[in-house]
Amino acid sequence: MLDHDNLARCALRRSEAPVAKRTTSPFLQFIAINSVGKTFAARTGSSISVLDCVDLTIAENEFVSFVGRSGCGKTTLLNIIAGLEDATQGQITIAGRPVTGPGQGQGVVFQQHALFPWLTAVDNVAFGFRKSGLNKTDRRQKAMDLLTLVGLEAAASKYPREMSGGMQQRVSIARALALDPQILLMDEPFGALDELTRIELQHELLRIWEAQRKTVVFVTHSINEALMLSDRIVLLAPNPGRIKRVFDVDLPRPRSRTEPRFNALYEEIWDELST
Amino acid sequence: MSEILKTLRSNDLALGLIGAVAAVGVWEICARTGVVDPTLFPSPSLAISAAAQRLTAETLADNLMWSLFRVFSGFILGALAGAAIGIAAGWYRGFGTIVRPLIELLRPIPPLAWIPLAIIWFGLGEPSKLFIIFLGAFFPVVTAAYQGMRSIDPVLLRAAQTLGLDGLPLLLWVAVPATAPDLATGVRIGWGLSFGVLVAAELIAADRGLGYMIINERNTGGSVGVIIVGILLIGALNLLTDAAIGAAIKRWVGRWHGA
Ligand SMILES: Nc1ncnc2c1ncn2[C@@H]1O[C@H](COP(=O)(O)OP(=O)(O)OP(=O)(O)O)[C@@H](O)[C@H]1O
Ligand SMILES: [Mg+2]
Repeated sequence: MLDHDNLARCALRRSEAPVAKRTTSPFLQFIAINSVGKTFAARTGSSISVLDCVDLTIAENEFVSFVGRSGCGKTTLLNIIAGLEDATQGQITIAGRPVTGPGQGQGVVFQQHALFPWLTAVDNVAFGFRKSGLNKTDRRQKAMDLLTLVGLEAAASKYPREMSGGMQQRVSIARALALDPQILLMDEPFGALDELTRIELQHELLRIWEAQRKTVVFVTHSINEALMLSDRIVLLAPNPGRIKRVFDVDLPRPRSRTEPRFNALYEEIWDELST
Repeated sequence: MSEILKTLRSNDLALGLIGAVAAVGVWEICARTGVVDPTLFPSPSLAISAAAQRLTAETLADNLMWSLFRVFSGFILGALAGAAIGIAAGWYRGFGTIVRPLIELLRPIPPLAWIPLAIIWFGLGEPSKLFIIFLGAFFPVVTAAYQGMRSIDPVLLRAAQTLGLDGLPLLLWVAVPATAPDLATGVRIGWGLSFGVLVAAELIAADRGLGYMIINERNTGGSVGVIIVGILLIGALNLLTDAAIGAAIKRWVGRWHGA
């Protein structure tokens, strides 16, 4: 759907308040978010605008984080990329194809683990291969490989309620990787974990990202986390949700919190976030 | 902590048993000393010996098997229909809108109130009893299945959708197992109701079964002892089958649901 009024309005908005240099190279536009808006029907009959004129392109293999205060539409935007919700305006393309639903190469890790409580760890991951056409033994074998990748092969036969939060999120990541998606969408995946487990899983994620070369879109409340992980940080502002600024994180990996450049960026993002 | 709980619990069981044994003892003493009239309320030993005299193992087994057969077949049909309709009503919005008011309207009618209609529709044979028992299982299961479907954590469905599932596979592989704990509760309630309805139906219209056995004993002026043994047997049977179903449910959903 091409809504010319919306496109024109968003183009005007961009020229008035540029947030980042817009790339036009199709090579760098793996995920293209074009003037996306989202309104929800409120119970009173009116509607609330949750996202407005979101324009962003994400390159292949890029690690991009969304930060912003609670309620600014991070989850909504991620869900639209995942194909779990429709945009009311604009559209998103992945490798040039419009997103029309889930399962177009987007793997998703949710904030709460979202594992199937009736399946063991290995069967939860094997569930990810349901649509792959593999038989049951092959599915389980591949699931074991993925559990090994996230360091959980010993817990294969545990049920979700028998696992710690960190283990549950590892299984979730393994399951999201099952169909070998090009894109990994993660909605505050480590938000509910203690600091130590969180840092551990950040390292694991970077290791997997580097080994498997995925495009990652990562939602977080933590500026520190975004700085540790991302190539770029997208700062969203609320009411209605829109991109306020995009920061390039030009720091070599592995990163350290003690670097002066790290702290300078932290201050810069913090200032922008809190004003 | 769990050790203490365990001893407490086994103590509870022991105390409960002591209570039951004491009640039987008091009953025996009262009947023997003539505090209660033994022709109305015979002592346990008299009741058992009267039952042993009047009932052959064969007739007892025959009545028992008939009751079990009826309750199982009616219950299974009712539970299957209840699960299927409840799940479909929860999943397919249009279907739910059509059938839910109907179910809500019929649900408050006690299954036993259907007996006259059942006899007119199906006669005095097995189908009328099957129908009543069916109703006993159907309503608790259909309600539980529907409620279970409506309370599925949406994130589970979303997670499955991101893995490429939709339509019928999403229903069968995600929604149905997610509903299993609620369904299990409904099944257990349905079993209890089916069983109660069974005995009532047999009291009213049957020529075999435990319910028939006790009412026939009264109608033919037989022994109160047989009636007492009969009702205790019905209670024991309900207790045993309920425990078996409870154990099966625990095996089925207990490990992951944490029962
Ligand atoms: N289905 C819905 N109907 C109506 N409003 C909604 C719906 N989903 C989200 N919203 C609203 O949209 C806004 C953005 O929600 P969203 O969950 O995307 O925020 P978020 O940035 O992810 O917040 P958080 O950091 O707390 O997770 C909120 O104000 C929320 O109330
Ligand atoms: Mg959110």
